[in-house]
Formats: sequence, C-alpha cells, structure tokens
Amino acid sequence: MSVSIVHTLRVLKPAAMIGLAAFIGLIVGFYANAAFFPGTSPEQPIDFSHRIHAGDNEIPCLYCHVQARRSISAGVPSVNKCMGCHNEVATDRPQIELLANYWRTGEPIPWIKVHDLPDFVHFTHKRHVAADIECQTCHGPVETMDVVSREAPVKMGLCLNCHKEHEVEFGTDCWTCHK
Amino acid sequence: MLAETIKHPVEHLFPYSVPPEEYSPGMVTWYNSVCGMCPAGCGISVRTREGRAKKIEGNPLHPVNQGRLCALGQAGLQSLYNPDRLTAPMQRQGERGSDEFVQTTWEEGLSAVAQRLEMADRHSDSVVLLSQGVRGHFANLLELFMRELGSSRLLHYDFAHPHSLHAANKKLFGEDQLPYYDIANSRYLLSFGADYLNNWLSPVHHSLGFGHSRQGDDSARGRFVQIEPKMSISGAAADEWIPARPGTEGILALGIANRIVEGGYTGGDAEDWSAALTAYSLTRVAEQTGVPAETIARLAEEFTHAEPGLAIGGGAAGNHTNGVDTLVAVNALNYLVGNIGKPGGVVFNPAPMSSRSAIDRPSSRHANHQAMQDLAENARQGGVMVLIVNNANPVFTLPQSTGFKEALDSIPLIVSLSSFMDETTALADVVLPSHTYLESWGDDMPQPGVGFSVGSVSQPVVSPLYNTRATGDIILGLAAKLGFREAIPWASMEDFLKDGWREIYARRSPASDDFDSFWRDVLRSGVLGENVRRESTAAVDKRVIDGIGVAEPEFSGTNDDYPFILHPYMATSMYDGRGANLPWMQELPDPMTSIVYGSWIEMNPVTATEMGVTDGDLIRVTSEQGSIEVPLVTFPAIMPDVVAMPIGQGHDDFGRYARGRGSNPIQILAPTMDPESGSLATSATRVSLVTTGKRAEPAKTGGVARQLGRNIVQFTDGSSEAAGHSTKVNGIPIVVEPA
Repeated sequence: MSVSIVHTLRVLKPAAMIGLAAFIGLIVGFYANAAFFPGTSPEQPIDFSHRIHAGDNEIPCLYCHVQARRSISAGVPSVNKCMGCHNEVATDRPQIELLANYWRTGEPIPWIKVHDLPDFVHFTHKRHVAADIECQTCHGPVETMDVVSREAPVKMGLCLNCHKEHEVEFGTDCWTCHK
Repeated sequence: MLAETIKHPVEHLFPYSVPPEEYSPGMVTWYNSVCGMCPAGCGISVRTREGRAKKIEGNPLHPVNQGRLCALGQAGLQSLYNPDRLTAPMQRQGERGSDEFVQTTWEEGLSAVAQRLEMADRHSDSVVLLSQGVRGHFANLLELFMRELGSSRLLHYDFAHPHSLHAANKKLFGEDQLPYYDIANSRYLLSFGADYLNNWLSPVHHSLGFGHSRQGDDSARGRFVQIEPKMSISGAAADEWIPARPGTEGILALGIANRIVEGGYTGGDAEDWSAALTAYSLTRVAEQTGVPAETIARLAEEFTHAEPGLAIGGGAAGNHTNGVDTLVAVNALNYLVGNIGKPGGVVFNPAPMSSRSAIDRPSSRHANHQAMQDLAENARQGGVMVLIVNNANPVFTLPQSTGFKEALDSIPLIVSLSSFMDETTALADVVLPSHTYLESWGDDMPQPGVGFSVGSVSQPVVSPLYNTRATGDIILGLAAKLGFREAIPWASMEDFLKDGWREIYARRSPASDDFDSFWRDVLRSGVLGENVRRESTAAVDKRVIDGIGVAEPEFSGTNDDYPFILHPYMATSMYDGRGANLPWMQELPDPMTSIVYGSWIEMNPVTATEMGVTDGDLIRVTSEQGSIEVPLVTFPAIMPDVVAMPIGQGHDDFGRYARGRGSNPIQILAPTMDPESGSLATSATRVSLVTTGKRAEPAKTGGVARQLGRNIVQFTDGSSEAAGHSTKVNGIPIVVEPA
C-alpha cells in the first residue's frame, strides 16, 4: 500500500500551522518586548546624567571609568570617587543627597547595567582604549544623554566591520572573541 | 509570558563604597600568603578579583610546596566563604551547651573576658590558653600575653602532633627539632607506618620528594617499601607493601639493624650495637612481626646497598605503647648506614628563623595526651578559672575516656576564639570569632623545616567578610583592656609582626635596602629563605645504644573479648576532623575505597566471609570505652585481625556539612599512652565487632573494586594459582580473580 504525499502533507498541515504561528509569535514578541519593555535605558537608582558630567563639564570618560585603560572591564566609579567632588559640588540637589545617603550608609549603589555583552563574548576595554577607539563608537554619544540608552547596536556585525576596517590581526577569527 | 522570557535580563553593577587596596574591577591580583589548613606551613598564592578570593594555588617560590598544594589547601576558600562561619561576637544565653547565644559587641565581649581575667589570681596559674599549634610571631605574642597574665599554662594542642617522633629524635640524636628527611635524593625509602604522601608532617613536600626520587634522575629509579598493617595511600604507591603485626614495626627495624651490624658495620661503636641487638635475631624478629625471615634479610641487604637509603617512621607505627622506641629504632637504621647529614638522608634543621630571642620559649608547648588529661583533672578540681580556646577542638579530638567535655563544666569561664561553631565552642560562654587565615596577618616558620632557614609571611588577601577579628588582634585587644601597655604596646597584629620582621631585617648583613622595601619584597614573594644550614654530626651516646630495644606493644582489651585491633587513620580530606565542614572535602572520594561522605570500617574480605558479614552491613564497634556504629567495607589490603577507620567524621556541631555524618573513632579509643612521650597510643585499642542487622551502604563514586574479567591488572605470584583459589600474598589471604 502506497502512501500519497498529498495525504501526508494534509495530515501534517495543522501541526505546521501551529508551528508557523508560534514562530511568528516569537518574532513579533521579541520586537514588541524590545519596544514596550526597554531594557536598553532602564531607570537607575540615582538619576545620574552623563550630559552634565561628560558633556557640559567635559570630564573625560577615563576620569571616572579609570579601569578601562588597564582592565577588561571599564568599571563604575566607587562611591568615594563620586563623593570626592560631591562633598563640595552641588550638595543641595536631591539626587546628590541620594548619593550622600548611599555614602553614609555604606550601601552599594545598585546601578543597572546598560551595555551588556553575552557571556560567550570576550571583550576587553584595555585593548580598545589602547587602540584609540572612541568610547562613543560602541556606547553612542553618551555625553549628550541624560539617561544612557543602548544606541549603537553592539552586535557581532559592529565588531566585525570595525575589525575589518582597521585590518585587525586575526580580527575575524572566531576565537578572537568567542573563547 | 513569551515576552517575559526573551526580555533583557537586569544585571547590576555594584561599586564599592570604598574600594579595597589595589582593587581594579576585571583585573586579577595574586597575593602570596601561608596556608592555614594544616601544620605543614605551605606557601600559597591566592587569585583575587574584585576584592574576592577566587582560587588558591601553591606559591612556586616556597621551598616547602614549590607551587603545589593539596586538596585541603585548595578547599581553604570554603573555609573563608563557609555559610556556617561565626559572624559576630556572642555571649551564651541559655544553659551551657544549649547552643543559645546572643550577639554582642566587641567592646562588651572583650570587657567581659578582661574583667574575669583581672579577677583571676595572678599567681595561681588559673588561666589556661589552649591554642591550636601555632608558630612564628603569633606564638611569641601568646607567650608575652600569658607572661603578663602571670600564668605558665599556655598549651598548644594538635591531635596529630608527632610527640613520639620528637621524643625519639631527642633520645637518639639529642635533637629538639624534627630533622629534614631528604626523600628527594634517597634511592631506597623504607617507611615504617608513615603515610608521608597523605598527611604525615609535610605531605606536599614529601610528594615532591617522592616524585623526584622516582623520576628526577634518569639513571636510577628510587625504590620504596612501605610497612604497615593497612595499605595507606603511600602504601599503594610503594614498590613493595609489607604488613607487620601492629606495633612490631620497631622490632622489625631492629631485626634489619641487627643484619646490618652483622653484615659488616664498621663504625667505631660496632661492638655496642652488636651487643644491644643480639636479641633481635632473624628468627625471633620473624616470629614476632610475622614478616618472613628471608624478607627481613633482603630488606637489610637492599637498604645497606642503596645509595643512599632512608628510613622514616611515624603514623600508626609511632602511635603504640612502644612508639618512641619504635621511632628510635627506625632512626637508628639511618645512623647505621651512615646517612646522617647527607643528601638523601636525615638532615638536621637550623633553629627556626625568629626574632624575639629575648623571649625564652620552652622548646615545645605542645600538649601531649598526658598534659590534656592533667588539664581535665585540674579543671575538675576547680583549678581552672578561665579557659581560652584558640581554634582547637579537644572535645572532638580527645577520647571520651579523657572526660574533657565533662571537665569543662567545672570551668567558670570558657572563651572560644574559633571561626566556626564546633564541639568545643558550643560549650563556650563568650565567643570572640576570629578571621580565617585568608583575612589575617601572621607568619610561619615551617616545621619540620627543609634543611635551611625559612620564614614566610601570611597577609590578608581579602577584606574581612564579617564582624570578626584576627586572633592576634583579639589577644592585643584583651591586653589593652588589661592595661599591659608597657609589655604589649602594639596596636595591631600587623604592627607586632612588622616589628618582629624589623629584627630579622636588621640581622641580615649587609642590610642592602631600607626596611620598607625589604618588607614589600617579603610580602610580594611570600617567603624569605636564609642560607643558614647546620652541620649534622652523628654521634650516638653509648648509653643510648645500650638502651635500644623495642618492647611488645600493649593493647587495651583482651584478645578473646576484643578480637580486632582498631587502626584509626587520618583520612586524606579531613585531617584531624577540621576538613569535615568543607563540602569539597566531604565529596572528595577516599582514594583507597572511593567513598564520599560518612565514615566506614575496613575489614579483610576473608575475615568478613568468616564472620558472615558483607559490604554495607551496619556494624557495632565496641571497645572497653564505648561503642559506635559504622558500615562495613571490605578492603583486601588489610591484615585479617585489624580493622581500620578514618578519622574526621562524626561531628555533632561543626556546621551543616559536618553535622550528623558518620562516627568518630577517637571517641572509643582507650586512654593508653606511650609512657615515654605521653602521647595517646591511638593504634592500641582492641575492639569487637557485632553486626546490627541493619544496612547502611556508604556512598561510593567508583563501581566495584574487582576486575570482573576485564583483565586490567595482570597478576601472578609465580605459582599460577587457579582462578577463585585462595592464596596468601604477604601473609594476607586473598582470593585470586579470574583473569
């Protein structure tokens, strides 16, 4: 007894439709989520403005993110670094009072990470700072932002294009980043 | 829901309020320090990131362990991060031993103790400080503190302290310190009961030496013979494993010595030796030890002609009623083949590098079993007003027969400086919790040394995790409260330590740089070696030679009532029980049986068959002192009348990982001592075994220990026994497996 292909397809049709619907749902859901639940510019515990610091007052990025030039991670400044200036500067503003409160209690400030690479990507700030790559290349024009958001698409394409453009040695090898 | 699952996860960035020194996120900082997990004194390098210790390795610059580290040392991290650590000072609330404590402040805790110390009579020796064995400047600080208190009762207590070996070296060579056994350069190692690759004295250093002896020289491969009633890890690595009747190891050594003297020993004192050893003829020694005469003759032959041969003794062989004599006999072998002070022989150590020579320190403060019994007796009679316990756990490591736990009832104030709640701390009135070694300042002069002078500094590798203090700082805090400003002016342990090292620096000639850069260098490398060696002169007094002889060992319990000799041994992972609260150590399989967690008793399979018991049967082990229940494991490499049990489990109160797991063989040991060293003869207890009818199979990582026809190990003793046939190897009955 032979089995007709048409017959087999007909039997599989409902399952295929469900699968297709689920797939479309997944894609729509992904973008809907990105649009309605923006993890890219979260609300921070203190309304810290990069525009005031890096933009208006022209404080260099590496003044606060000192570690970027020596470590894989750029790091966020310790609370006593903030207080180094804010003991004197703008002490009456409510956001600075929030900061001072953290300092007094010794509680860590629970900043929320905006730029986050997946765990399988090895990225080191040190090398990129040493190669004179502008911070803004990956982080976007942070000095204009009151609330930092992820503007530059830090995806694999960005890395590869830049590596190609700069003719980085082994820059397109898988193991350069995925190790 | 779908949207929730693909949402970007929230990750936090927590900055330090005030970052620790040398902190930079994402960057690794290594600190060199000293391991505090056992008394060997290995150097460690700790990898830290973001101010947290992540991994411990051996310090490659340290002469003791040369970059290597044992499992217990690796697990030091779990001591630091242990969830059961004591986090703040406490005072007892309810009944003593009820485990009800209330948190207090350091100020209050220290004041409470200082007040009672002031009340104690300055001249009646009613204050006792019982510390785990400590060395270096911290030991000096304890001396100073106790002197100011007017008490001479400073006791160092370690269950595994080799009292008998110290006594034996003193007796034969007049040496107070342990010598350095140069295993690396020996070509024939005769070990009497010393499980030197596992936990005897300095196992990491010995393992390095063993490797070098075996493979370090292309022209010769070192041979190694192990003599013991139950195959240890060292025994498993030996070329030849010889079981002698428990406690007769010394007699065997003298039998070998007799052959060496007969075989043409040419020393000036040959006549004395000959006279002293006449009683140890081949036939008599063979009869007493159960080792065939031809084996003894062969061992003597091989040992004499090895270039050079080294004999070491310890472990169970030294823990009998004749322990000191046994170890004297073993050392005598080294003397007779003339390898004292030579490479591959016994090398005497220079005095430990130390600065405060002004403080007259008794050669050893180590409390033997006699001293602990005396302490318990004195406490019962009300002679102890205050007992300060520093990280020692005598309630766990002393047999029930000592009555130590009950004696503590008569002490009005017990202070514990432990980092963990343990059996002894549970009975304390005031708990002043100390840092772990990874958070404190200290230094160490390893004992036994490595033939030259070594000092290493232990520095904090992380900021303290909790509201604890370094033991040194607690003592300094008490001293300040008691007004000992003049004698003990230091504000912190770091100051005290630096002051001591200033003297070491000043002694160096020429002093090439300033102290600060010297100190930085020492901290960076973690260790300072001084090319101070000692001439080792080998002269043995005639009276000592005349007195040489090993008596038959005595056991507690009669053969009829207690047919088995209990052989307790320190398990790889637990040491004397201090490793039991580390999950890594709990789940580390015992190398010989592959058992994890819990404890067990090992018995020869042939004996088990005769008794009608099998693997996993719950057995009641009874000595004259009490009984414990423990599952049976058959183990082929053990003498038929010996049963072996690992030490370390059976804690009632040592955190969640240790509590209620297995049983503690120390509890049922008889208080039999070696009269010469006063140390507990831990291998001198006889036991009877009764099956309870219950089953309790121990957890194992391995499958069966048999070949099951897989033909993995090719074995023949020359007489092609048929499969399934019973035969004897080394006098131990075994069943030949089908190939």
